[in-house]
Amino acid sequence: MISIKNIHKKFGKLHVLKDVSAHIAEKEVVVIIGPSGSGKSTLLRCVNYLEQPTEGEIIVDGIPLTSEANINKVREEVGMVFQRFNLFPHMTVMQNISLAPVKVRKMPQAQAKKEALTLLEKVGLSDKADAYPEQLSGGQQQRVAIARALAMKPKVMLFDEPTSALDPEMINEVLDVMKTLAEEGMTMVVVTHEMGFAREVGDRVIFMDEGRIVEEGLPNEVFLHAKEERTKAFLSKIL
Amino acid sequence: MNFDFELIMQSFPLLLLGAGVTVQITVLSVGFGLLIGMFVGIARLSTLWPVKVLAAIYVDFIRGTPLLVQIFLIYFALPIIVGQRIDPFIAAITACSVNSGAYVAEIFRGGIQSIDKGQVEAGRSLGMTWVQTMRYIILPQAFKRIIPPLGNEFIAMLKDSSLVSVIGFEELTRRGQLVIARTYGSFEIWTTVAFIYLVMTFTISRFVDYLERRYMTDDKH
Repeated sequence: MISIKNIHKKFGKLHVLKDVSAHIAEKEVVVIIGPSGSGKSTLLRCVNYLEQPTEGEIIVDGIPLTSEANINKVREEVGMVFQRFNLFPHMTVMQNISLAPVKVRKMPQAQAKKEALTLLEKVGLSDKADAYPEQLSGGQQQRVAIARALAMKPKVMLFDEPTSALDPEMINEVLDVMKTLAEEGMTMVVVTHEMGFAREVGDRVIFMDEGRIVEEGLPNEVFLHAKEERTKAFLSKIL
Repeated sequence: MNFDFELIMQSFPLLLLGAGVTVQITVLSVGFGLLIGMFVGIARLSTLWPVKVLAAIYVDFIRGTPLLVQIFLIYFALPIIVGQRIDPFIAAITACSVNSGAYVAEIFRGGIQSIDKGQVEAGRSLGMTWVQTMRYIILPQAFKRIIPPLGNEFIAMLKDSSLVSVIGFEELTRRGQLVIARTYGSFEIWTTVAFIYLVMTFTISRFVDYLERRYMTDDKH
C-alpha cells in the first residue's frame, strides 16, 4: 500500500531522515515509536508530502509522489490526523467534515451531510454536529478530526501523535475510535507514545532514532525482546 | 473677528455634495484596493519567486512614494505615454485604488501569516488544492482578523482622498477651496470642512468597532 524507498530529509544542515525505507501492507497497522527528534513525525508527513523528501521515492497505492497532480490524488486517499487537531475553527463540526467531500470529491451536499452524520455516530458525537470546535473538549475535537479524515473514504490513515495534546482522561476515547478503525481493517500508520496501544493494536512496531529505523518487528518481540541496545534503553525509560 | 454663520449655512449644501464625492472615491478606491490587495498579499506569500518579487516591487514602490506624486504620475505623466487625456475621476480612482492596494496587500499578508500553519496542512491533507484551501479555510479566518486594520485603511483613504483636489477633482476639499475663492471665508469654510471629515471618519471608526465586537467576541465564527 505504501512503499518508502531510501528517503532522506534535510532541513538546511539538519539531517532528519537518513536513508529510511519501509513497506506498509494493506490493512496493516504500523506503530512508529522513538524519542522526540528521531524523525518519526517527519517520516509520517513525508507519506502525504506535507514534507517533501530531499531524496528518495514514495509510492502510495501505486501512485508515485512526483507531480502536484499525483500528490493531490494521493492526499485524497490518505487521511491524516494531527497532534493539534487542526479543525477549521470558523466552521461547525458538520461543515468541517463535509467540506472536503463536497469540494474535492464533488459529492452532493445532502449526501455529504448524511455521511457526516454516520461518521459522527461512529465516533460517538452525533449530538455535536452543529457545535463549533472551540465548544468541544480536546478528545472530542480529535474524534471530529478523525471523522473529517474518514469522510474522504481514505485507504490509509496517518496519525501524528494523536493523543499527545490531550488531557489524560481523554486519551482513551480517541484510542478507542482508532482501535475500532483498526479492527475494521483500515491501513494505519500511527506515531505515538502510547505503548499500550502499540502492543494491543499494532501489527508491527518500528523504532526510530536519530533519523534511522533502528529496529522493527512484532510488537511483543520489540517490547519484550528488543535486539538493539538503543531500543532497550528507550523502552526501559518509558515502560 | 467675525464668525459668519450665514456663510456656513449657505455653502453647506455645496460642501455636502463634495463630501458625497469624497465618500464615493473612498468606497470605490478601498473596494478596488481590497481586490488588488488580496491578490498581491497572496502573491507576496507565493513560492514562485517572480510572482513574489513583482508583488514586492509594487508594494515597495507605492509605499515609498507620496500619494500626491502618484496622482501627478497618473494624471499628468501617463497621458504622455498613452497619448490621451485622462478623466480626473478615472485618474483619482486609479491613483487611490493602486495606492490603497499596496497597503491592503500588507494587511492581507499579515492576516494570512497569522493563521496557524496547521490549517493549511489540514486542508491540503484532505486533498484540497492550494486555491481551495485559501478560499475556504485561510481567507475566511484571515478576513475576520484584518477588519480593524482595514478600518484604519478606510479612514486613511478617506482623508488622503483630499489630495485629488490638486487635479481639480471636486471632492470635499476642492469644494471648500472653490467656496473660499468666491467668498474669502477661509476660517469658516476650512473649519466646516474639517468638521465634515471628522464626522465621516468618526462614523467609520464606530462602525468598525461594531464589526470588530460582533466578530471578535467569539473569535472563531
